[in-house]
Amino acid sequence: MDISFALTGKGYVLVAADTTAARSIIKMKSDEDKIKVLSPHLLMAFSGEPGDTVNFAEYVERNLRLYHIRHTYPLRPASAASWIRRSLAESLRSRSPYSVNLLLGGYDTATHTPELYWVDYLGTMTSVPFGAHGYGSYFALSLLDRYHDPEAGLEEGLAALRRCIDEVSKRLVVSPGKYKVKVVDKDGVREIEL
Amino acid sequence: MNSFADRFSTTGTAVEQRRIKEYVADEEDVSDSMWGSEAGFGTIAHGTPNFMVPTVPDPSAFLRLHTDDHADPSCRIKIKHGTTTLAFRYQGGVIVAVDSRATAGSYVASGTVKKVIEINPYLLGTMAGGAADCQYWETYLGMQCRLHELRNRERISVAAASKYLSNLVYNYKGMGLSMGTMICGWDKTGPAIFYVDSDGTRLKGDLFSVGSGSTFAYGVLDQGYRWDLTDEEAQELGRRGIYAAGHRDAFSGNTINLYHVQQQGWKFIGNYDVSEMHYNGPTGTAGYGYGVRVEGRSSANPPA
Amino acid sequence: MEAISHAGTVLGVLAKDGVVLAAEKKVTGKLLDMSGSKEGGYGGSGEKIFLLNSNVISGVAGLTADANSLVNYSRQTAQGHLFNYNDDIPVELLVQRLCDLKQGYTQYGGLRPFGVSILYAGYDPHYQFQLYHSDPSGNYSGWKATCIGANNGTAQSLLKQEYKDDIGIDEAVGLVLRTMSKTMDSTTLGSEKLEFATLTLDADKRPKAKIYKPAEIDALLVKHDLAKKDEDAEMRAA
Repeated sequence: MDISFALTGKGYVLVAADTTAARSIIKMKSDEDKIKVLSPHLLMAFSGEPGDTVNFAEYVERNLRLYHIRHTYPLRPASAASWIRRSLAESLRSRSPYSVNLLLGGYDTATHTPELYWVDYLGTMTSVPFGAHGYGSYFALSLLDRYHDPEAGLEEGLAALRRCIDEVSKRLVVSPGKYKVKVVDKDGVREIEL
Repeated sequence: MNSFADRFSTTGTAVEQRRIKEYVADEEDVSDSMWGSEAGFGTIAHGTPNFMVPTVPDPSAFLRLHTDDHADPSCRIKIKHGTTTLAFRYQGGVIVAVDSRATAGSYVASGTVKKVIEINPYLLGTMAGGAADCQYWETYLGMQCRLHELRNRERISVAAASKYLSNLVYNYKGMGLSMGTMICGWDKTGPAIFYVDSDGTRLKGDLFSVGSGSTFAYGVLDQGYRWDLTDEEAQELGRRGIYAAGHRDAFSGNTINLYHVQQQGWKFIGNYDVSEMHYNGPTGTAGYGYGVRVEGRSSANPPA
Repeated sequence: MEAISHAGTVLGVLAKDGVVLAAEKKVTGKLLDMSGSKEGGYGGSGEKIFLLNSNVISGVAGLTADANSLVNYSRQTAQGHLFNYNDDIPVELLVQRLCDLKQGYTQYGGLRPFGVSILYAGYDPHYQFQLYHSDPSGNYSGWKATCIGANNGTAQSLLKQEYKDDIGIDEAVGLVLRTMSKTMDSTTLGSEKLEFATLTLDADKRPKAKIYKPAEIDALLVKHDLAKKDEDAEMRAA
């Protein structure tokens, strides 16, 4: 089961996802990147049905890229999130729905605001200060209720993220080993070593 | 299924048993002094030992038929399942905290349940799973603990009490009991917590949380726990653990009951409303709620 | 194109904190029932200036029936964008959509192009305040100040002379009214011959379109000393 976390801080969004690709009881890969860079200021962590996840992520990636090329500027995070949500909602009522859960982290360069959206495969979308998918959410949400600070600097944000990952490692029976962490802020997207 | 064949067989254990039964019944020479052991054939004479169980052919199937709301949501009896309970050991004793919500399916049956069972002045049991099962057996455990005191002129240890309970529920394994409990107390060895459940699992430990909201409580508890917590810090951590679960888990909530076990026995600290904790906190000055805590803070970062 | 050069003048000026649109009404007369426009929802008579979306207003010059059809199309387009993206449509995107439609009618025989030129005044967070013009062929361009309809050449040269960069909204309003008064055939300005609208930001930094009601236009003209001279009043003052 995939685990992903994301949280906002002062001027940034942190997105983290485990890196295991498992099939049945076997770990097929331990350095899989489950966070896509959709535009210069937009990140998407995806989890769910194997196959659907990457396919949907690439579909989104290409459509947003097309928008960027057509209009010279990319969609703002809120608009991109709305479009992605609508794609999922339409897919839900199709013959083969995508089973993909998402965390969308973006930085709106127009308003200088970091934005985070929690989206599930049913097309539910909500704007949150922090979010999680998978079994990690059962441990991390109460923890972040307690420790998350919207005005935390990057180091404090990473400390809160580390708490989540440590808690899952401590309590979850099948906890994944490694996580990939990416951050988006005014300067764009970059990867961070925990 | 083999009973018909057994009745008429001439070899095997069934025949042995039949022969012994006849012997005990017929033999006049079996003296009164032998009654206790039925001439040394006690258990064999009466077959395998039995418990008091409902007079239906298969009690566990009967119970499942009427309580399994996954298979049949309209089943007659719904067992109380959602709960959050926690207990942890630290330098100053044991903190026990529980919520007070009782749910039957999606129905909130009560918001004022006592989920800490006061077994005796030195022992507390928590309640998760079937409310009736926990209440009945932990009260029964209280009786046995008192008998132990009378017989041995000293209080039962937490280890022994919890072992008694775990053996008891193990005997009923597979018959539909549903309990997840923590037996907490103070004995000669100091503060102690044992987790006992209806599978027959019994674990000694420093920190446990049980119930549907336990993951949420663990999240807060693990991050705030230290052995050298002060009494105030420990009580606050217990409250926050249950608050987190009450907030995030739909099957937990309403109020928090907080107990502190010390050398001189347990002490009831208080009852706290979860909503009240969310907005105002225990002192009325600092709410636990995320929205309350970060009120007015913003992640926006416009250039100065 | 011929129809447009005879249509009522529409004039737009871009300021640093807003955009101003004004239009000359051609269909007037004592017998025209104007009661609907006095307290109408968005104000104005609804003949030449329209609200396309909460962040875009437009002024049209040309065939009124064609214009109504295009206004309806752009409102649908804007709502479609809101539905998909949960955000107001960027101004240039709306202009592009409309121009794609207009261009389509120039490409095939048997279809008549829309006989309408349009000025768009809009706001979006990408490029802030914007002013665009589109013609019947589907060409569009962005402007600091421009004019379409009758006498647009005169008006444009006037604007070129008077326009300054970093002009504020109040100055822009004055510039528009003055240019309008010099361009229009009639000697005096009044609400029965003029439609007027501004697009600014409200206290929450959201675009606020204001299409003036007849009474508000008259009040504005008085303020800028361009109102019809009321001879009785002058007499009394003297």
